[in-house]
Amino acid sequence: MKQLFKAVALTVAFVGAPVLAADTAEVGKPAPAFTLKDEAGKTHSLADYKGKVVVLEWANSECPFVKRHYEAKTMQTTQKGFDAKKVVWLTVDSTASHDAKFAADWKKKEGFTQPVLVDTDGKVGKSYAAKTTPHMYVIDGQGVVRYAGAIDDDPRGKGAKTNYVKTAVDAVLNGQQVPTATSEPYGCSVKYKS
Amino acid sequence: MTHPWRKRSGSRLGGLGAVAMVLLAAVAQAALPASAVGSTAPDEGDPRLEGALVLDATQVKAGGELRVGVRLTLDPDWHVYWKNPGDSGLATDVSWDAPGVTVGELRWPFPQTFRTPDGFITTHGYHDQVLLFAPARVSEAATGTLTVSAAVDALVCKVHCIPAQLVLSRTLPVGPETVADPEFAPQFDAAQAQVPLAPDAQGAPRVALALEGTTLTAGKAFTGTLTVTTADGKPYAGGVEGDFFVPGRILGVDQVALKPSGEGRFALEGKASSVAAKREPRLTGSLRLGTQATGFTAVDVDAPLAPMVADGAVAAAAPLKLPSVKDAAGKVAPAAVASAPAAAESPMGLGLALVFAFLGGALLNLMPCVFPVLALKAYGFTRMVQEEKGKVAPHAAAYAGGILVTMMLLAGAVLAVRAGGASVGWGFQFQEPLFVAAVSAILVAFALNLFGVYTLGADGTALAGKVDQSHGLLRSAGEGVLAVVLATPCSAPLLGTAVGFAFAAGAATVVAVFLALGLGLALPFCVLVLVPGLAKRLPKPGMWMERGKQFLGFALLATTVWLVWVMGGLAGVDGMGRLLAFLIAVGLGTWLYGQSQGLEGGRRGVTVGLAVLTLVGAGTVALRFDEAQASVETRGATVAAHGGSQAWDEAAVSAALAAGQPVFVDFTADWCLTCKFNERTVLSREDVRQAFMKHNVAFFVADWTRRDARITAKLAAHGRAGVPMYLVLSPGSPDKPEVLNELLTADSVIQAVQRADGCESPLKAGSMVCARP
Repeated sequence: MKQLFKAVALTVAFVGAPVLAADTAEVGKPAPAFTLKDEAGKTHSLADYKGKVVVLEWANSECPFVKRHYEAKTMQTTQKGFDAKKVVWLTVDSTASHDAKFAADWKKKEGFTQPVLVDTDGKVGKSYAAKTTPHMYVIDGQGVVRYAGAIDDDPRGKGAKTNYVKTAVDAVLNGQQVPTATSEPYGCSVKYKS
Repeated sequence: MTHPWRKRSGSRLGGLGAVAMVLLAAVAQAALPASAVGSTAPDEGDPRLEGALVLDATQVKAGGELRVGVRLTLDPDWHVYWKNPGDSGLATDVSWDAPGVTVGELRWPFPQTFRTPDGFITTHGYHDQVLLFAPARVSEAATGTLTVSAAVDALVCKVHCIPAQLVLSRTLPVGPETVADPEFAPQFDAAQAQVPLAPDAQGAPRVALALEGTTLTAGKAFTGTLTVTTADGKPYAGGVEGDFFVPGRILGVDQVALKPSGEGRFALEGKASSVAAKREPRLTGSLRLGTQATGFTAVDVDAPLAPMVADGAVAAAAPLKLPSVKDAAGKVAPAAVASAPAAAESPMGLGLALVFAFLGGALLNLMPCVFPVLALKAYGFTRMVQEEKGKVAPHAAAYAGGILVTMMLLAGAVLAVRAGGASVGWGFQFQEPLFVAAVSAILVAFALNLFGVYTLGADGTALAGKVDQSHGLLRSAGEGVLAVVLATPCSAPLLGTAVGFAFAAGAATVVAVFLALGLGLALPFCVLVLVPGLAKRLPKPGMWMERGKQFLGFALLATTVWLVWVMGGLAGVDGMGRLLAFLIAVGLGTWLYGQSQGLEGGRRGVTVGLAVLTLVGAGTVALRFDEAQASVETRGATVAAHGGSQAWDEAAVSAALAAGQPVFVDFTADWCLTCKFNERTVLSREDVRQAFMKHNVAFFVADWTRRDARITAKLAAHGRAGVPMYLVLSPGSPDKPEVLNELLTADSVIQAVQRADGCESPLKAGSMVCARP
């Protein structure tokens, strides 16, 4: 009886707390749905990639951390290491001052191939609680967030020991638990419209 | 090997052109050499950050201390980051290269909090100007000049961010005296005033956290109350302003915020990460008290939150034991207690604690620690009862008085140490080598007295036939003192609970419980006096008493052997040697004193002088114990005594539980006789070992021989103030450890281990709820 009362008390304690958190990205929970246009005007929805592992990369080509990773080819190399039939890489730019043309220019300059989704109003970025560039998410084939955080453990560019995204994607593909499911992302803040 | 900051000058950040280049500022202040000033992080060619390497001395002596710092000056609206940058950014990094100088940890003044206009991103850092500094010590061998270099790696942000790297360097002459720099020393002092105090610093406000739950649930919100009291124990009454709390990076927690909720009270709101942290998260950060008008005091906060459980498992794994929502609103318990399952038992009242203390004190008489004193006292009473009947009551009173006064001194010491910010436990004084040495010396001196080497208080005219004199009231009181001193490394049933209760409560309770404990300890002799006719039933005195007395002397020496062994654990073989040398000097000194008792006048004075000289001289030379010397071998003795055990570590315990192993934790100390007794007679028994093997128990030893704040805290979390304590944890319900009795029996251990393993198979679980995957 006492136990039952406590269980009720426990439930009451947590009701009204983060029910509203249902539509933000949390590891272990379904990823927020989105539909965005890329730099070429093509529409991408998370639902389109059901059954595939989706890597989301928040980026801002003006951020020194993003520049560093693109020059060191961290993002490109990580992406190339995956089987393109099983893994989709989407770059998202939530910078308020950027548009499709800006994204297209950047893509051309760096010569990479993945789509850059333009999220100028920042709605998708905020639904994922993306706060830094780069900020990385790995979503499994069932649409569940399996990793959120930094690309690697190297905020100062001294040489990474662990590429968290690569480790997470490999684990998901092998049906294993992601060893590090969250990490502190580092970099510039996302320059949201406000 | 390339210097870590030299290789940064190039390629990776080359996109920003000169960004990674170290530019020397043309606008260097006149006070500083050019190499001590630099600027970088150019924005459209304009440097946004200037840095200067500053020292608080213009000259320093070999072996002297100084402060070394980096003063960062930023353009308006630009900022650099604190050690926890917050949602984005990068902590400012300062690394030092200073041959001949040992540079300490970087001191961070209390930071500002920055928010994006929509409030979505929060960061912590500094704008305008900040002095990040570190204490430094110059080598004893330093001569000539010293070169201090600093490499600063910072991210400078306004809307956009620019990385900045500076390499700054200064030289400093070594001279006969340290000379403060009149310009920079005040800047260091001002920066120092902004640095949060360590939680245990002298005069620092005390911060206690009470969480409204025994666990954090992954992805869920949690709440609690932070209570702030001034250093002298009053609730903090001043205000706070602005962003007065900046959290550290807390693994397992996404957000925390504090809101003032009353005098010295702050409501804590937080949200646990969606992924359960492996270690128990701690609330870390800095709290700034005060207002612009009153001035600020910042203090670092570091308090345990609660173990994390995965969402869904919570209802089964942690059926909210302690704090119903109702309780939490009304009462604030210290976090350590609130999160402790042991505290979930019906809270003990003062009355019950006093009864426990009294009974525990009485039981102490039967423990091996106090027994030699008890025997000694029994002997003394035997002859007194026969020869000086009327004096029995005064002697019993003196003995009880000695016990009570010493108990009060002990209570005073506990309160004093606690007021100093450290936590102590029952028997804590045995963690102090000098105390162990003093007790050993007293025991040896006492033993020699029993051997007749000298007589006590006999005023020089004492002869062997006048040994009766040694039964002065003072001696009875002294025996009371000795009884308490020897009792502390022992624990008895009920004692742990009572003392634990006292240590967690106010000063009056500590005094009351210690008094009750003393009365319990004095009980046998009070009974002897109070029950008429009982004294007369003691055996008649005779020659056996003289032999018995000398025999007891050997019992005291045997106790000394144990203390020498304890010293080995505290200060190594070297410490044992020093203690033995000192004890021989004590023997020599007392022998000289004994000789003097047969002499007259000047010769007597000389002999007494020699005795004192021997003691003082030997004490000065020998009583220097280096605790770092404690031999690893001795430290590991307990661990080795139980094959396959390992040193206690919260993370290792969690790992073992996660792996499905039941866990047994033995909280022990070399000087704790009850612990040693349990280890030898119960824990090393074959059937107990078999049970541990059968149930695959992970055996941990928490050794409290020397001071260990983690262990003290863990003891307190279970309402205990000292060792022994035995915890049995089940992988099925890791949050509900079973605390075993102080005196173990093989059956109790085996059954507890069986219960802990009961969750292993769902078929065996019965009515128990097992939340293991």
